[in-house]
Amino acid sequence: MATTNRRRLTGRVRLDWLTVALLLGGLLLVYYLAPLVSLFLAVPPGAVLARLGDPAVVGAATTSVLAAAISTVLATALGLPLAYWLARTGTRWKPVVLAAVVLPLVLPPTVGGVVLLTVVGPNTVVGRAAVAAGLPLTRSLAGVVLAQTFVASPFVVVTARAAFEAVDPTLEHASRLLGTTRWATVRRVTLPLAAPGILAGVTLAFARAMGEFGATMMLAYYPRTMPVQIWVSFVSLGLRAAYPIAVLLVVIAVVALVVLNTVASNPWG
Amino acid sequence: MTLDLAGVVTAYPGFRLGPIDLSVGTEVLAVLGPSGCGKTTLLWTIAGLRRPNAGSITLDGRALDGCPPEVRRTGLVFQDGALFPHLTARENVAYAGANPARVDELAATFEIADVLDRRPGTLSGGERQRVAIARTLATDPDVLLLDEPLSSLDAPIRRRLRRELHDLLGSLGIPTVLVTHDQRTAAALGDRLAVLRGGRVEQVGPTETVLERPRNEFVARFTGTENVFEAEVRARTDGTVTLGVGDATLTAVAERPVGAVVSACVHPSRVRLDATVQSNEDATDPRADGNVLAGTVGGWLNEGDGYRVEVAVDGAPLSLLATVPPPQFDPRAMAAGTAVRVSIPPADVHLLGEPAADG
Repeated sequence: MATTNRRRLTGRVRLDWLTVALLLGGLLLVYYLAPLVSLFLAVPPGAVLARLGDPAVVGAATTSVLAAAISTVLATALGLPLAYWLARTGTRWKPVVLAAVVLPLVLPPTVGGVVLLTVVGPNTVVGRAAVAAGLPLTRSLAGVVLAQTFVASPFVVVTARAAFEAVDPTLEHASRLLGTTRWATVRRVTLPLAAPGILAGVTLAFARAMGEFGATMMLAYYPRTMPVQIWVSFVSLGLRAAYPIAVLLVVIAVVALVVLNTVASNPWG
Repeated sequence: MTLDLAGVVTAYPGFRLGPIDLSVGTEVLAVLGPSGCGKTTLLWTIAGLRRPNAGSITLDGRALDGCPPEVRRTGLVFQDGALFPHLTARENVAYAGANPARVDELAATFEIADVLDRRPGTLSGGERQRVAIARTLATDPDVLLLDEPLSSLDAPIRRRLRRELHDLLGSLGIPTVLVTHDQRTAAALGDRLAVLRGGRVEQVGPTETVLERPRNEFVARFTGTENVFEAEVRARTDGTVTLGVGDATLTAVAERPVGAVVSACVHPSRVRLDATVQSNEDATDPRADGNVLAGTVGGWLNEGDGYRVEVAVDGAPLSLLATVPPPQFDPRAMAAGTAVRVSIPPADVHLLGEPAADG
């Protein structure tokens, strides 16, 4: 109140805490949006459309969307049971398991790629067996999926765990006392109530998988995903050649966000 | 149909319930106790949500031990209803597969027909609790468990639902265990009453017996008999004893040896106060039978449905609480420092530690 009065009297803007907070937050927002706007201004729509027919771009887009979709399905199918267990367990090993889940998030993606190569690389037991079976785990779509799942699945586990924890266990007790089995209870009560949070995690995982670059470079330089294609274009032809694919990737990411947010009816709220 | 608990112990770090031995027939057992005494743990153990460390629970001789909750046929109404927030009231009631006709019948019984298509979040506390009870009864349980069913409700709704539950529970014909910290709810709904403290049953018996003849000071105080005092048996005649507290004497209907020090209790509603200035023969309670003491008012408190008056008995280290119904309360006669006559019928002076009629 005193500040407002003084401002009126002197006519000068005084830096109260609210103004500072707005300035800081606004600066960050501008930092997010300005490069995106600048990218779209730098590329004429015609150039993007022209590159859409380029087989390299089509191939990269197909690989990216297909692999990210498979990775997201895998991350969800494998991640939800772990997330539920983490939400409900009372074991003292919980922090250790949580640390293991979060590890791929804090690991630099290239290191993640190196780590994966020690297990599924062409000279490992697993890698050789996979090649013999006709399903090589490097330089293949499977390699892309492995890399993406490694870095993206923690988003499903961490977010879904928070969503499961927010479901009152009393509701599960109530369901079971109404004659419903544990599994049916999860299906009829827990999953519907946790759905918005789970979908938020799935969205994040899909977006992360679409953008995966570091681990993918190590495991599967071919078939090229869009981030790899951007890098190749940038290195061989220069920055301007990378713009149209970058625009395409931004559009796909935004569309994915919008679609999943609509389905999830505001999972962020 | 009988629910039997034999030596049931449920322990977790820092708390131990039991051993509990209880038998509940086709009746309502009200379990009364303070917060943290193990009431909810007791219900969860019966329902199979907590595995007991020892003991056995049987229903008509069928052992429930090890049975998962979904096959026990024990219905539990949770404290706040625990309605599924993503389902409408109708979907909640029909959750266990009740057919639409049965849902409508229950909705009519519980007067929730007009809220059936609403989500729990938009229902009032009373409506939520009605839906929760209807949902549990829709499964036709063999045992009904109620966890503080009225505690989250406003007073008028609580009184109304208490009345309705009284009629409903009496008509169910299955063993019913209701836990509460509210002695009014326990007294109103329980055919029998068990008082629980620190995980142990302090006393169990017909509700009137436990309320009127508490076994120890905790039961007495927790069930509302707040006047508990030590006295010495000074004389004894056939069936009555004369108790001394300082210079005051009281007659009680009891058997105790002369010289024994006993704990006596009197419910505040049985203590009658009369202004000495207006006193005459008619003002004396004929049932008091000589238990008339001189006292001085210490103060009073209006509790809405009655006045609580604190009286110091003259010549004795004894302070008594009396409840006076509003029509009989005269604030001038009950001003602090006013002399009053205190009358207590001998039959209403109960000595603690007497063996109760029911085990």
